[in-house]
Amino acid sequence: MRNNLIQKTGISLFLLSILIFFIGPIVWFFALAIRPPETAFQSPPSLFFKPTLESLKYVFVTPGDSLPQLVNSILISFGTILINLPLSFFAAYALSRYAIRGKSAIMGWYLGLLMGPAVVFLIPYFILMNNIGLSGTRLSIILVLQLVTIPFSIWLLKSFIDDLPIEVEEAAQVDGAGALKILSSITLPLCRPGVIVTMMFAFVFAWNNVVFPIILSNAESATIQIGVFSYFTSSGVQWGQIAACAAVAMTLPMIIFLALDKFVVRGLTFGSVKG
Amino acid sequence: MIGPSFIFLFALTAYPLYFSIKNAFRYWNLQTSPVPLHYIGFDNFKNVFAFTPFFASLRNTLIISFGGLLIELALGFIIALALSARLKYVNIVRALLIMPVTVAPVIVGFMFRYMYWDIVGLIPWLANTIHFPQPEAGYLGSPITVLPALLLPDIWQWTPFFALVLYAAIIGVPHEIIEAAKVDGASPIRIVRSVILPTIKPVVVVIGLLQLMRLFNTFDLVYVLTNGGPGDYSRTLSFSLFREGLINFNIGVAAAMTIIILLILNVIVFAYSKLFMKGTKF
Repeated sequence: MRNNLIQKTGISLFLLSILIFFIGPIVWFFALAIRPPETAFQSPPSLFFKPTLESLKYVFVTPGDSLPQLVNSILISFGTILINLPLSFFAAYALSRYAIRGKSAIMGWYLGLLMGPAVVFLIPYFILMNNIGLSGTRLSIILVLQLVTIPFSIWLLKSFIDDLPIEVEEAAQVDGAGALKILSSITLPLCRPGVIVTMMFAFVFAWNNVVFPIILSNAESATIQIGVFSYFTSSGVQWGQIAACAAVAMTLPMIIFLALDKFVVRGLTFGSVKG
Repeated sequence: MIGPSFIFLFALTAYPLYFSIKNAFRYWNLQTSPVPLHYIGFDNFKNVFAFTPFFASLRNTLIISFGGLLIELALGFIIALALSARLKYVNIVRALLIMPVTVAPVIVGFMFRYMYWDIVGLIPWLANTIHFPQPEAGYLGSPITVLPALLLPDIWQWTPFFALVLYAAIIGVPHEIIEAAKVDGASPIRIVRSVILPTIKPVVVVIGLLQLMRLFNTFDLVYVLTNGGPGDYSRTLSFSLFREGLINFNIGVAAAMTIIILLILNVIVFAYSKLFMKGTKF
């Protein structure tokens, strides 16, 4: 019994130190957003200070350069899932339910797109978007983001559809319902949690992406992530403003992941590990 | 039903591939011409090795990929074991532990850039306080320490991922088996080695591949933290490709480099699946 107590205390202490290591940097960075600038670098580091909203005000109110960037991020992320979801749902359904030749190869190809080097796509798309006059538009970013969000969504949605019992659909088929009718009135409602989870992950994917907007966006279509860079200039590094902008950019994905809770492991492994 | 997305994705991937294959054999610098110039055979490929720090980038990329994977896997496994002791507050720990994964990699870069800053950031201050050796140019500024220093943010961000996925796999191991092993007098280490590890191996193999590929493509952290420096000591292949194509505008050379990188990646994935994934089906 005593042994057990010592063991439990040991594990608790270990987990506590683990948490400090993994949460500490986030807290430290959030604190930077509300610090008076003169306390940003002190020796020893100052843990207590009088919080100020100056940096947040500068970044989002006056002059508020990052407010339109926040709007862009929201528009681009929503636009991305709007195109992504319908396309992915049909594909995931077909890949789950029908015997398609080369299914394994197709899934492997999707995985390759999802995990492949994004920079490879960057140069061709930079030149293509220039040539077809879409350069610098939100639409160009939304389109290129499909390269990663569609394969991701197909993988995740397929894992959810695989879990649904096929008997219900077969029964409906016997009753004479068509494929589309079955899909819309049986599979889709049953699969609603899967669709919502996929949508939330795809949203975070688009929200956190930087590689594409770095090259494809301009001053008008820059996302909030790109905005963070604008306070890191050669003439001076505004750490408070960087952190203020980043803090806002970080908050939404954090909330979404908290809401996803049980599905986090499944989503992050593209449905291959059911946590 | 798979048609629309298939055609759409096919078009989205075929174009860059066609673009890279075509221009890998043409002379084209965007600063001198808006369109590709003449056919030059394999000169672009020769130039990748002659004029870009390709081998340094390859070396760094491999160190980051395999070093990062091993460290994150090992640390994640230890944390997963601790979580599987099923203490009361394990769900809170789990929810908090996932937070690093939610942060965009560029923001992780800024987070650590702030902590590494000069001699006044948190990390140099901590190192000073405990008299941990510190190069004069800082951890990010010295050729010897820059790769570990670059890897630290990645370890910070992705170890929780391993911990949570492995935790999910470990609690999937039937309780009776572990109890039976205990009754038979197996030591905890023996239980881990003979019961837990074999059961979670399929999961380790899958997430190992996913993370290996992610590490291989490391770009964001380099872009924010070191810009490839000092010298070429922290350049990765993705970063070198970015520099060649979108800073130097050598589209032809970048296209050749793209093809070489994709070949290397395919070899790694092929070797990995031959070694560890026999019989795995998607």
